[in-house]
Amino acid sequence: MSFQEKNVAISLANFTLIFVFYLIRLFQLISSGTFTAEHVFWLWGIVVALATIGTIALTIFTHFAASVALTMRSGQERGVSGIQDERDTLIDLRGTSIAYRLSSIGVALAMLTLVLGQPPLVMFSLLICSGILAQIVADISRLYLYRRGF
Amino acid sequence: MKKGQINNNIRTLRFFRNEMTQEQLADQVGVTRQTIIAMEKGKYSPSLELAFRIALVFEVPLEQVFSFVLEGDQSA
Repeated sequence: MSFQEKNVAISLANFTLIFVFYLIRLFQLISSGTFTAEHVFWLWGIVVALATIGTIALTIFTHFAASVALTMRSGQERGVSGIQDERDTLIDLRGTSIAYRLSSIGVALAMLTLVLGQPPLVMFSLLICSGILAQIVADISRLYLYRRGF
Repeated sequence: MKKGQINNNIRTLRFFRNEMTQEQLADQVGVTRQTIIAMEKGKYSPSLELAFRIALVFEVPLEQVFSFVLEGDQSA
């Protein structure tokens, strides 16, 4: 497994954990009857913070680990920029394209809930849900492209 | 439109180039070893620039490294 594949796999694990946490908390809020704006926005904040901080921390860690591993293996200092080439960029772009499409569908569905007379909280919950799901599917498609080729 | 496939002789050319390793070729053309592996397995078709770079390393014309075959056709 290459450095880029490991990076994608770590990102996938990170977002899957965040998604599971989000769903569990959301169902807890609904079942306990505390599905209110205050609680939902608090959950929104936590999920966005976890996603941002988690992604930054994992990116720094994987880049650092890859730089150390490459330097040890080659005997000379090599930057992480040399690890990514045209194939990695193409796979990354394809994943991003899939994520944008799924996010767009999520936004459209979220707007549809408003049209159907659902409260705005449902729309907000659907928005973040589709955002995280889009990221997960994009990471899975990136891993698939690394394995199967294109 | 018929589908096409790009084949390559990178593995053979490496062998006749003093058994050049994938890592050495990757370093010379500026990609990762994984990309060379993917190309040799036919899982990735390189950009035109990378194809020319590979041909330059082996000092052969592009057609000697890569060939294009249309689905159903026997010859390129």
